[in-house]
Amino acid sequence: MGVTILQQFPTENRTGPDTIELLSKRIKALGAMQHGNFLVDCETYTSVPQLGHQRTVHVLHNSEQPATVFSILDTGTKTIPLATDGLFDLLMMKMSSFYTSKKQTKAESKGPRFEIGDFCVKLGTITVSSNFKGILVEVEYKPCVVPAMCWDLMKEFLQGFLGFSVPSTPPTYLQNRMQELYTPIDTIHQYLEQFMIYRKSPGIGVRT
Amino acid sequence: MPRIFFIKVGQNYIIIMSAAPGSAMDSLSAALKCNIIPNQEYLLQGSVLDQYVEVLLHRLRGLCDNVDSGPESFHDHELSFALRAQGSGAAPMVLPLRVRRALDSPESPWQLRYVGQQELGDKNRPTVVRSSIDMACSSTIVEFLTELGCRMDFEYIARGYMFRKGRMKITVSKIFKMGNMNTKPGEGVEPISQSYLVELSVLAPTGQDAIAEDMRIFAEQLRPLVQLEKIDYKRLGNMS
Amino acid sequence: MERDIEQLNLALNNVKILRSNVRLVFESLSSGLRTEHGEEGKENKFILELQDLLTLVNNNLRDVEGAVSSLTTPPGPFSLGNSTHLSQETTQERQQLYGQLVNSYKWTDKIREYSAIAGNILATNSFNKTYKTFGTKRRKTQTSNHNVPPEVIENLITSIDRLFSDVAITSSRPFVPNPLIQASLGRVLKAMIAFKGLMIEWVVVKAHSESNDLWTESRYKVFRKVTENCHAAMCHFHSPMMPELAVRSFMHWFHSYITLFSAPCKRCGNHLHCNLPPTWRDLRTLEPYHEECK
Repeated sequence: MGVTILQQFPTENRTGPDTIELLSKRIKALGAMQHGNFLVDCETYTSVPQLGHQRTVHVLHNSEQPATVFSILDTGTKTIPLATDGLFDLLMMKMSSFYTSKKQTKAESKGPRFEIGDFCVKLGTITVSSNFKGILVEVEYKPCVVPAMCWDLMKEFLQGFLGFSVPSTPPTYLQNRMQELYTPIDTIHQYLEQFMIYRKSPGIGVRT
Repeated sequence: MPRIFFIKVGQNYIIIMSAAPGSAMDSLSAALKCNIIPNQEYLLQGSVLDQYVEVLLHRLRGLCDNVDSGPESFHDHELSFALRAQGSGAAPMVLPLRVRRALDSPESPWQLRYVGQQELGDKNRPTVVRSSIDMACSSTIVEFLTELGCRMDFEYIARGYMFRKGRMKITVSKIFKMGNMNTKPGEGVEPISQSYLVELSVLAPTGQDAIAEDMRIFAEQLRPLVQLEKIDYKRLGNMS
Repeated sequence: MERDIEQLNLALNNVKILRSNVRLVFESLSSGLRTEHGEEGKENKFILELQDLLTLVNNNLRDVEGAVSSLTTPPGPFSLGNSTHLSQETTQERQQLYGQLVNSYKWTDKIREYSAIAGNILATNSFNKTYKTFGTKRRKTQTSNHNVPPEVIENLITSIDRLFSDVAITSSRPFVPNPLIQASLGRVLKAMIAFKGLMIEWVVVKAHSESNDLWTESRYKVFRKVTENCHAAMCHFHSPMMPELAVRSFMHWFHSYITLFSAPCKRCGNHLHCNLPPTWRDLRTLEPYHEECK
């Protein structure tokens, strides 16, 4: 598990599949090989009024860690991450009278997964309750575990195939954690941050 | 390119192969449909006085599978939480949750467990049957549950030995009151009683009632050292 | 060497003279009063004779002591570790082994000696292009660098450990007396370094999350490249004359990988080339370069 940067890619006037096609061509031209597909999904549950002030639990799955369920509890003042076995989903069903999910909020990022050198690149199509919302590019540099050490290197890589749409600063979630050890839950936090933006956005053609 | 999915249940993995990464919920419902998730706990309980525990351990050592390696010892801290809310009807809704961590191996993952009400069912059934969801979790679990709205009801320390016999798990443990948290683990704790708690349990998928019969036979072999029985918690609750 | 033998001869001669004179003392003592002493004051004469003989012995003893002190102490027996037990082998066909082993150790020592002389001569003729200069004050002859007591290696390791604050070293000795150390370079990487005496025998560079096994290479391309370069540097820094300095220079060079992911290439100014960061560090300046840019 190495440092991962999540990055929106503007679709401009292209459709989702066209954009994925374009990026796939570019990354393959650089020498990448496709290694399967990936999927990150997120379901959000909110507490029932009887439980007092409102809290939300985001439950996320990442195909990169298939045996783990990640949950992020948002109390309004702080967020608490939790990693568990796959059976946590079963427990969430048991909790259905305390925490309920709204079906329209199910967010997903799904698409091809490439490997190139020590990098892993994932081109994700974002859907929120099956509506296309945009394109997310995930780049992981596997050998390095401290974001501050390899941010410049990763920025160079991102610019190499995304062009100049790459911002010069790291994602907001990472900015306070540049010196810390990177763990899978950090990737989950970045996805959640992006999903929250897409849920609020009106639809196709999101720009950064 | 086929993808392989793992669902971890207890010490086993359920492996599901699919052509593309389906959602985790899909693979979970597939596993549920196949009835391979052990979500039922079969349980018998009893107790033995401190002065006879050595004899029982000796007997168990002879009966159980892990003969050569000896019994596995454990030293766990268990916290019992419950999520409560006034339901729409008159009855309050309660979701009990237990958190357990190994004090003797701090690197191991913590354990989160939901234990349901014991099933009423047949009076002649040899063991208690109750639903159970058991999973490993990260150490943020206590804060997570607290912020989720759970309240901690009680906590204790259990120290003892674990034996295996086929699918059955036998634990012989001493229960201690929580001491001052500032002292080192193992110090400043006070035993709750003059006896050891003995539990015989199996975690199995729904409907595998044959295991209950095996458990009854095994419990029979431990008599009269220890009397393993179905404990009716409701009745205990009324007594106090 | 010849002087040594002369000294040894002298000392042996002195011992011989001492022995014969001591014998004379006892001879005269055992025969007691003789006719040569005459009748008058024979006791006095006898005592005087003994006194003369004893003075002679005393002088001889002083000579022996003088000769012995000017001798150089011979090197001790080889410390062969467990292989010493070969000398007690009872099987016929294996009895040869011990002799051969000792011989081969003698040969290695000889080779080292000759190479030291060769190194000396080469150093005085400065036609070599390498920047290494053999400082004369560090010229300390060691008996060998593959067969040293464990304490010496231990001292070396602890001194390296103290040298860099961001290198954490843990050592284990699966094959006594040769240690295997694990050097963690900050949060960047770790290296497994196997020693043979004071020589670095093998290096593997891996990520922190990987196993400490010495024989499997890293699953990451970047660390495989760094491993390769470490092997090159290990050979480059190797010096039969100053093994300690060789290890020290290697560690110094190795320490420069602390910037493996963060420093751009000195030549092209970029971080990446063929999807790898600059994996080469200049041996003298320690500047980062891509494999293709150096």
